[in-house]
Order: sequence, then structure tokens, then C-alpha cells
Amino acid sequence: MRNPLSAFTYFQRNPSKVLPMGFVIVLSVFLIASVATMVNSIDLTITTIYGYTKHFTYAIPQRVTQRVPADQVAIIKADPRTDRVMEASIFFTNIKTVFGRFPFVVLGVTDENRDYLMRRVGTELLPGGRMPADGMPEAVISEPLAKNKKVKVGDLIAGPNDEGGISGSPVPVRLVGILKGPIWIAFTSKTFCDMTFITTPRSMVFTSKDPGQLLALNNDLMPTLHKERGRLNSSKVQLLSRQNLIYELRDSLSSMYLIMGVVNGMVIFVIALMSGMLSNIYFTQRIAEFAVLSAIGYQRRRLLAKVISETLLMTLVGWILGGIVTFLALSYMKESVFEPRGLLIDPTDLFAYKYTIPIPFSITFFAVATIAVRLMRLDPVSIIERR
Amino acid sequence: MYKNQTTTSLLRSETLACEGASLAYVDGARRVTYALRDVTVELSPCRFYGIMGPSGSGKSSLLYILAGLKQPTEGTARFGDFRYRERPETEVTGLRRDKFGFVFQQPFLLPYLTVLENIVVAAPSIGKAAEELAMTYLEELGMRGLEHKLPSQLSGGEKQRVAVVRAMVNDPAVIFADEPTAALDRANGHRVIEALARWRSRGTVVVVTHDAEMVADADALVILRDGHIDEASTH
Repeated sequence: MRNPLSAFTYFQRNPSKVLPMGFVIVLSVFLIASVATMVNSIDLTITTIYGYTKHFTYAIPQRVTQRVPADQVAIIKADPRTDRVMEASIFFTNIKTVFGRFPFVVLGVTDENRDYLMRRVGTELLPGGRMPADGMPEAVISEPLAKNKKVKVGDLIAGPNDEGGISGSPVPVRLVGILKGPIWIAFTSKTFCDMTFITTPRSMVFTSKDPGQLLALNNDLMPTLHKERGRLNSSKVQLLSRQNLIYELRDSLSSMYLIMGVVNGMVIFVIALMSGMLSNIYFTQRIAEFAVLSAIGYQRRRLLAKVISETLLMTLVGWILGGIVTFLALSYMKESVFEPRGLLIDPTDLFAYKYTIPIPFSITFFAVATIAVRLMRLDPVSIIERR
Repeated sequence: MYKNQTTTSLLRSETLACEGASLAYVDGARRVTYALRDVTVELSPCRFYGIMGPSGSGKSSLLYILAGLKQPTEGTARFGDFRYRERPETEVTGLRRDKFGFVFQQPFLLPYLTVLENIVVAAPSIGKAAEELAMTYLEELGMRGLEHKLPSQLSGGEKQRVAVVRAMVNDPAVIFADEPTAALDRANGHRVIEALARWRSRGTVVVVTHDAEMVADADALVILRDGHIDEASTH
């Protein structure tokens, strides 16, 4: 026989008492994990848009210079870890993001450099398309970008009628091919950019021989250290490096994460308080049960252990179910709402679920703390006689 | 902890007693009211005792003091040499678990447990031996076949008989019963009392009742009036 006083027995036999509270926990996990996932989709969007920075780095000239000065290019080339340094001209095409329209860079490099970069990022042209012809207003973009912009081969991806941001081209740019690969990327011909975007600064793109060394190379070339000999001069050049990007992203989102943390903390506190009160109501309904167990010789600590095991089991089961419900709901939303619009959301984002970890423990703490006080003061005779 | 299963027979030769026990309450008007005043009784082992008296005479208070469920405000209560006041609460609770059985006015069965489960929660350890013992007592009380029923499926008399079996399943040295027949009809009341009375062959039985017929077979009666022992009636 299973212990009749085990938490499992109580759950199995009292669904009407367990389910409402379990439902509250599931909902609270869903609420918090969903909000955190949505907020994290901003981070995800930015890191996805700039995913190519894992493979190469932009050195961007300051506006006054238009080009990366030769002495700075020399510094980059002089580093033995540097593989290739190439000049790139760019324009932007608008994409939709969770925070509105965002300019995505279309990279204009020579055909040889384009093929080299495509190999580096593991991208290939899908059948049915071709690479942009030299000097022509044509581009190729990654599949998710095409989905985001709802364009197919032959459609325009930029033009004089583009709305908002710094996106746009004085001439219509046509999509001639779609790329498949793990990184969002877009290419056009350098000649077209040089002829069309006359005032746009020319960037330098560089790669490292060992892709794993790119972050270290960036660190050593970091413009913030420009006073030191051999470093890039930040008054002349800025690096769009992976680490700079992540730092600035996290820095700009830090306030949002702080607000989210405070809101989540308040929500968890309120839920824990409510659940604690609910537990107390259920405990009051069961007071005769605890009184009779105490009268027939069950130690108070044994009764408290019963309360703790029941509460902890319920909150943990509720938490796990809440996680599953959240994952299923977000997966459905991703499929039916986000992805068709080219928006990014990650239902498997563990960081979002971590926000919910305090839920079972705070609920258990509130419930057990209040019930423990009542248990310690429990006078079984007064309850038995009152009935 | 009060745990000494190997000396059960020795403990059963020990008396249950209170000496000069009083139980005072302070009411809302800050007046001291005595539920029990300077009561001294000594109950010998393996006998059936009835505690009688009118309502408010202190019958239940005396029972709960003897059982260690209430501490007298004055005087002492003990089981053998085990003086409740001198021991930590955990030891007194352990004594109740190991050596006492309880039947209350209401059965107080856990509504989500079956009859058998309700009984074995009072056993020293939950297992096959406790189940078999419970089944034996259920059979003695004519309740075999009901072991898997929930309390909501039982009559009032059946529930109280389950409570009696629960009080017996830890093989107690003393069974305390507080008005065990008050909520039952006469026939069911007699069945419960008969079951309790039979226990005197194994241990002490203390029954609080206001119904003299229910304790007609008692070995001795303690009569209370206004918190005092009515010496004239006690025998």
C-alpha cells in the first residue's frame, strides 16, 4: 500500500482542490515566460540580423573620411591573424522586426570576394536564381530575409519609394537570387554600389584565417584602444564587431531587462501571495484532518513535511506543465504568427524560462511559511471539540 | 520520543493518573473559569472506565488531560512514571502515537482515504502487518468488505466503528473515547461500546459519556460535577 498520507495520494484523490491552484501556477509560468521570450526576441532579432559578424568584421570610416585611411587598413593587414581585407560598398533594405522597420545591409563586394564570403558563412545560391550582374541594380538575399520582405525572385527589394529609415536606393533593385544558409546575408555588385551610392562611406571587411580567432582579432584592433601604438584610430574608423554589437545591444536593452525583472518580481510576489492565501484556505478546509492526525500522535514536523511535500509537488508539477504549455503556445505562435511575417521568436529560449524558476519556490515559501505558523499553534482539541 | 515497543507488557501494568489537576480558562470578561478543579484519579490498567457527568462538568477536559492532549493549569497527569508536564511536546505526541488510541464524538475520518487507509494511518508503521491487523479488527466489528470504501459511502455507525478500529490498530495500552456514541443511534452505540469494552482484555479503556446505559458494563465510573469529582457517585 502506498503511504496514504503521501502527496501523490492527496493529489490523486483531490483533483478539485489541486487543479485550481495548479492552473494558477501554469498561467503564471506561461505569462512570465511568454513576456520574457517576447522581450528576448529583440535580442534574438539583433543578433540574427548581425549574424554575419561571427564570420567577418566591418571597419567603417567616420563620415569625414569616406574611406578607411590607408594607414588603418595597413594595421588590419599587418596582423598575422588577418586572412583577407576587402573594400565593400553597401546600401540597405528594410526588413520587419518586432521593434519596427530595420535596415539590413546589402553588401557590395567583388565577385571573387562575394564567393569567398559566401563560403565563409556557409551560404549557397538556391536553384532558380543567379548572382547579381556586375554594375546592375540586382541583389541576392537569404531565404529568411525574402520571407520577411515577402519577395521572390524578380521582385524589387529596394527603390526610391521605400519608406522610412536609411533604407532605399535611387533606382529600383531587383531580387535575382535567394541564398540558403545559417546566416542572414545579402549581396549586390560593388560596381553598382560605387556608381549609385556615391556619398556612402566605403567600409573595409576583414576576416581572420581561423574563424575562431576573429573575436580576439577584433579585441586587439579595438578602436577604444586607439591611443596605443598599432591600434585602429577610432576618430577615423569604427569596428562593427561581434563583441561591440553584443555589448551595445545588451547595454541598450539593460533598462528593458531591469523593468522586466521588476515586473516579473512583482508578478511572482503577487502570485506567490495569492497562492499562499489559496493554500491557507485549503488548509483551513483540512484543519480537522491535521487536528486528528496531531491528536493521534503525528508530530508537527511530520505534518509540516506533509504540507511542504504537497505544496512543492504541486508547484513543481504546475511549473513543468506551465513550461510545456508555454513552449507549445509559443511554438504555435511562431508558426502561425511570427514566422509568416518574418519575425523572430525562440520558444526554446532557456533564458526566458529561467525567469520562472522563482515561481515554485516563492509559492512554496509563502504557503509553507503561513501554514507552518498555524500548524505550530494548532490545538487539536479545540478543533475536535468545536466540531 | 516515547518509543519502547519491547516493554509493552510492562507499560500495561502502569496506571494512568492525574493528581490535583485543574484546568482554568480566562473568559472574555477576564474571569477565571475552571473546567476542572483539583481532580485526582488513578486508573488501573486493563479496566474499562466510564467518565460521566452533566454537560460542562469537565468530563472531556479530564479525558484530554489524561491523554496528554491538554496540559492542566495546575497539578500533573502521568502514564506510569511518564509525567507529561516534564516532557517535551514531541515525547508526549510520541506517547499518544505509540501507546494511546482515540475515538472522538465525530469519527474524523480523512475523506479522501479508504476505510483501510484511514485505519493504517494510525499504525506504528504502514505496511502489510498493519493492513492484516486492520482487516482482523474490521472483521470483528462486522465490517469486512467495506475496507475499500470511502467514508462518504458509509453510514454514521460504520464510520464510528472504523474510528474504533483506527484506535485499536496501534495495539494501544489505553483507548480514550470522548462521547463515541453521541452521534449514533442506540444499536450502533451499543456495537461501538461493546467493541471498546472488549479491549479491556488488552488495555485500559476510558469512555466519556453522559449516557449511563453505555457504561453500565464499566469496571468503574468517575462522576464529575462542576469540575469536581462527585465522591458520592464515583465507584
